[in-house]
Parts: sequence; structure tokens; C-alpha cells
Amino acid sequence: MLLDSAPRDSTRPAGAPARTSRLLDAAYRIGALARHNATLRLRDPGQMISYIVMPMVLMLVLKPLYVRAVDGGAAQVATGLMVMFSVFAISLVGNSILSERTWRTWDRLRVSRAPAPELLVGKTLPLFVVMVVQQTVLLVYGCLAIGLPVPPNPVYVLLAIMVWAFALLAIGALLATVVRSHGELSVISDVGALTLSSLGGALVPLSIMPEWAQLAAHVSPGYWALSMMQAAVRGDAAGAVPSALVLLAIGLVAGAFAARRLARGWGRGGPM
Amino acid sequence: MLVATDLVKRYGTIQALDGFSLNVAAGEIVGLVGHNGAGKSTFVEIVSYLIRPDGGHVTIDGRPPSATRGEVGVAPQHIALYPSATVREHLELYGRLAGLRRAALREAVEDMSTMLRLGGIMDRRAGKLSGGQQRRTQAASALVHRPALLLLDEPTAGADLETRQAMLDVVKQRAGEGAAVVYTTHYLPELTELQATIAVARGGRVIARGTCEELLKDLPGEVRVTLADREEVSVSTSEPTVTLIDLLRRIDRPISAVDVRNPSLDDLYRSLAVHDAP
Ligand SMILES: Nc1ncnc2c1ncn2[C@@H]1O[C@H](COP(=O)(O)OP(=O)(O)O)[C@@H](O)[C@H]1O
Ligand SMILES: [Mg+2]
Repeated sequence: MLLDSAPRDSTRPAGAPARTSRLLDAAYRIGALARHNATLRLRDPGQMISYIVMPMVLMLVLKPLYVRAVDGGAAQVATGLMVMFSVFAISLVGNSILSERTWRTWDRLRVSRAPAPELLVGKTLPLFVVMVVQQTVLLVYGCLAIGLPVPPNPVYVLLAIMVWAFALLAIGALLATVVRSHGELSVISDVGALTLSSLGGALVPLSIMPEWAQLAAHVSPGYWALSMMQAAVRGDAAGAVPSALVLLAIGLVAGAFAARRLARGWGRGGPM
Repeated sequence: MLVATDLVKRYGTIQALDGFSLNVAAGEIVGLVGHNGAGKSTFVEIVSYLIRPDGGHVTIDGRPPSATRGEVGVAPQHIALYPSATVREHLELYGRLAGLRRAALREAVEDMSTMLRLGGIMDRRAGKLSGGQQRRTQAASALVHRPALLLLDEPTAGADLETRQAMLDVVKQRAGEGAAVVYTTHYLPELTELQATIAVARGGRVIARGTCEELLKDLPGEVRVTLADREEVSVSTSEPTVTLIDLLRRIDRPISAVDVRNPSLDDLYRSLAVHDAP
């Protein structure tokens, strides 16, 4: 239902089966969205850089303390701070999604040809990549500069990073769809990140925390992330799987809720 | 092209639409006017499938809004742009989302840039543009894929002259090519220039529908001619220009000033309120 003289797409291979061409169209739209969102992200790199540089500095400064305090102190300080600052990255995700509402641009995407799932993937893919890059850089730095033992199986580590990034992405998206403002979002994500990740043992090793805190830690996604990450770094796949499942479950629940809100154009003044 | 019948939309106790019906033919420009809160934007949002009505139905080219997603060109009332993205990036994004590629995309972007006079600002970021430039960018990104139904919600709100003229030109051109246009505005002269038909909304429904001539026929405009000796001639008329020419021809004394007040939308609303009264 476009005007007759509309410029037609002449590049699609003629005779491609309808299904394939629909998939290609979807991929093209997702690509357009992802590219657009990546551009916006890169134009505002401050937060990203500080969430990579701050933990690097802290790892270096805190390492002697950890090495003296616990066995495997180097591994603890590297994975702990990596987990903590990856939780901070939730605010990156949240802000980037919430901005679509404050700029009113989400509704414009919703009237485009891209259905909701495409919008979600196109929006979150670049954020997912940012988080994977952040965590990878921090772990590589941990190996090179902090003395984190080089993981025997990097594939486990990469998988663990992807699971954790997915859970964080879903939590960030969920937050973005329930807060009312960017201010509210940054309070919740900063305080929440600090509380949850330190409760999870990212700052002080759980082994030297009081017993009640060790128990309470189980409610924190940071706890599961840390235990998954440390198992993956050791090359202990069996040890990483249970935590990974918990994180996947958290991610799926949060993600499903957020996706529903986003698809309906959340926050337009009506009830949830 | 667009057929909306008896639309109802409630927000809690607020009745945003209350039996709103409007038909728009291909090639027709409908000036949708009415006071703030009359339900114009709610209507636009329903047709663009952003919200669901509580009652009534809409078809676009015979299909429901759910099936025509992406084929309608929507420029919302409020500016909705990415502050850090350039004008070109906006046009490319919405063009790509509509399926335009390579040469077709480049051509469509160039076309919009020319028609909406964006040439000099294509690589400026939207957040740094003036209000009028933002309006034009928003309209361009809504029209880039050449939709056959345009929903322009106050596209000239707060706009400068250049923006207004560019907007009117592009709307006229697209309607000339067969697009159906819903054009919301508070300025009557825009509608007469567009040769639009008019739909007046009030209280969530369309209370009057017709051509400019039909609806504006009996509205009082005014012509006032001040003579050099300070004497004033003032005539209440629905056709001030014609009356003025006529007056000037007949007055053979020196004239110091003329003042023409064309009928406004407020005059139209007022006259409709009078007609409504039991
Ligand atoms: N999301 C919303 N929540 C509550 N009320 C709304 C919402 N959107 C519109 N309204 C109300 O519906 C009525 C019609 O609004 P609108 O369609 O924006 O009118 P117009 O565009 O003609 O100015 C107004 O009373 C407005 O306050
Ligand atoms: Mg409005």
C-alpha cells in the first residue's frame, strides 16, 4: 500500500522462496536497528569506558589485600570486580531503553514494519555486545595484569559471559520498563548493583563473611554469576552449569516481563 | 482508503473518543481540526495501531490497522527524534525499516531532503536543530517510504514560515500522487491552501465534515478600510478578499490603511456551537 512510483527494492534475488525472503527482510530490519543503536551507544561512550577502567584500577589496587586474605586471591579480585562492574552496566541497558520512551521514539518504531520481537533484538543486540566486550576485556586484563590463572577452556568462559550478559540485559530491560525516570533508574541500578554484587561476594569473599550473609547471598544474581564465572575460569563445566541455569531462569522471567511491556509501548499513561 | 466507524476510546473516566467516524479517500487531504482534547491524536494513534479502540472499527485499504503496520506514514504531534543521530541517519533508519535498500534508499533519502529542504542540515544532529528543522526531519522520516496513507499530527506546530511552506508543498505533492492525508492543524489558512476537506472534532467525535467552501461559507470575516480623514468603513463578510477589492474599487477618496481579518478556525468552532444548540 505504498504509492505506485515508490522506489522498489531491486536487489532481492528473484524467485527466492517467500519464507527465506521474509527471514532476510527481518534480518535486514534487525540489522538496521542494531546498527542505529550501536551508533547511538558509541556516541555516548563515557559510562562504558568508566565501567571498564574503574574495575581495572581497583583490581590493581586491591590485589595485594586479597592475595594476603584468601587462597586464590587474584582470581577472587579479578572475577569479583568483573561481576560487580558488569552489574553496574545494567544502568547502561536501562538508560538506553528508557531513552526510547523519553524521546518518544519507541512509538515511532512501533508503527514501522518491524514487529516487536525485531525491535527488541535490534535494540538489545548492541547492548549485549557491549556487555560481553566489557566482561571479556576485564577477564583478559585479569589474566595479563592481575595473575588470574589462564582458563584451561576459554569456551566455557565465553559461554558463562554470555549467560551472565543475557541475565543482566533482561534485568536492565525490566528496570527500564518499571521506573518513571532516568533519575529513578540510576538510583535503583547503582544502589542495587552495589548491594547485590557485594552481597553475592563480589567485593568481600563469601568465605570470610558471616554465616547469615553466606546464606543470604543466594538471593543475589551476583552470587550465581560469581560462582558460575569462577567455575568456568577453573574449567569446571559441571560446577558452572547449576549457576548458569539459575541465571538463565532469572533472565527468562525478567526478559519475558520486559518484552511484554516493551511490545505494548509501556508507560503511555494507562495501567500496566 | 481510510474508513473509521464509531471509534470509542476511554482512559479511566475520560472519554477520549466517543463515536468518532471519519472516511478519507485516496488523494484526499482531510484537515482534522478541533480544540485541544477533542480526540485528534487519539484517532491518529488508533489508526497507526499504537493503541486499540474500546469500540468501533477501522480499515485501511480494506485491512485492519494490525495488517497495515509500516505502510502508514505517521508524524506524531510531539517531536520524537534521537538527539544524537543526524537527519540523514533518521531518514536511513526509517527507510531501511520500511525495506528500502541501496539505490532505492539513497534516492528516497535525497528526495525527502530536497522536498523538505533539509539539504544543508543532513549531517547535523537532531538535538542541535531548530524547532522547525526538527519538524521537517520528523515529517521526512515519516514519508521517506512513500506511504499511501499519511497521518500528520500538527506537523506545523511552532514551525517557522519555511517549514510551513515545505510541509504544505510535500503534502500537496503526495496527495497529488494519490496519497490519502489526515492533517491536523490549528491554522485555517493551511487548509485552504491545501484545498483540504475539513473534519471538525469535538468531544471525541466528528461534528462537522465538508469542503472549505461549505463550512466556511457563512463565517464572518472582516474588512476595515481607514480613509485619510480617519473615517472608517468596516464590513463583516465571509469573503474578505473579494469584499476588499470591491470596496477599493468603489471608494474614490484617499485611503490610509486597510485591515483584512479572514475567518479563523475559532470562528468556525463558534458557528458550529451555535448550530448545535437546541
Ligand atoms: N494516555 C492517555 N491517558 C489518559 N488520557 C488521555 C491519554 N491520551 C489522551 N488522553 C485524553 O483524551 C482526550 C483526547 O486527547 P487527544 O486525542 O490528545 O486530543 P487532541 O489531539 O485533539 O488534542 C483528552 O482529554 C486527553 O487528556
Ligand atoms: Mg493532539
